Amino acid sequence: MEEKKETGIHTEVEIIDSGPLRISGNFILKDLQRDKESVPGELFLCRCGKSSDKPFCDGSHKNK
Amino acid sequence: MKEDRSSSNDRKYSNNAITVYWKPDACVHASYCYRELIEVFDPGRRPWVDLNAATNDLIIATVDMCPTEALTWKWNDEKKNKTVGAEHTNHVKFRRPELMEEEKPAVNEHPVSVKIMRDGPVVIKGNFTLISGSSRKEVTEGILSICRCGESYHKPFCDGRHRKTGFNG
Repeated sequence: MEEKKETGIHTEVEIIDSGPLRISGNFILKDLQRDKESVPGELFLCRCGKSSDKPFCDGSHKNK
Repeated sequence: MKEDRSSSNDRKYSNNAITVYWKPDACVHASYCYRELIEVFDPGRRPWVDLNAATNDLIIATVDMCPTEALTWKWNDEKKNKTVGAEHTNHVKFRRPELMEEEKPAVNEHPVSVKIMRDGPVVIKGNFTLISGSSRKEVTEGILSICRCGESYHKPFCDGRHRKTGFNG
């Protein structure tokens, strides 16, 4: 399923306090660990190391 | 005369053909070097670089993967540096073809590169707005290496701790 988001060419990288890394806009995600490449438009990457859905955040940082 | 504007942490390592320069302050711990060629680049060894442990071709290819200026290289024979052309003496630009692609000039339309490093950080390259709390900063052709293991002492940035803690992800 190709969902193309019109987020324009600008890319935002947001460090969410005590939470994930949000990236949105025009970017290419290359996951060298899982050998995958995609253009997600927006995503939330795990920064705590505890997610079971790495590299994405699954909210595990909240259960301390 | 030698140009000396290096910080005291900088090192250089030579074998009979090439010299590899190491600028730790520029390192973002993307970890290409030791993942590709641990025989030569072993962070647990002192000195951590051994230029006699692999062929020069392999060493050069690995150094060229470094996304920053932390690792660069030169031929010891200056004449050779001149004959290989400007792109080779500008080591930051001298990369493997797939890494070169990201550096084509079409600056603003070019998508930002977000790379999930194996058991390591996420490395973000390009033009973007960095947001943290209420602060917004425009980053032009920047490189950011963000911790994914949760163990860095310099969060949000990677400080290489994932290697010591055995991060898997």
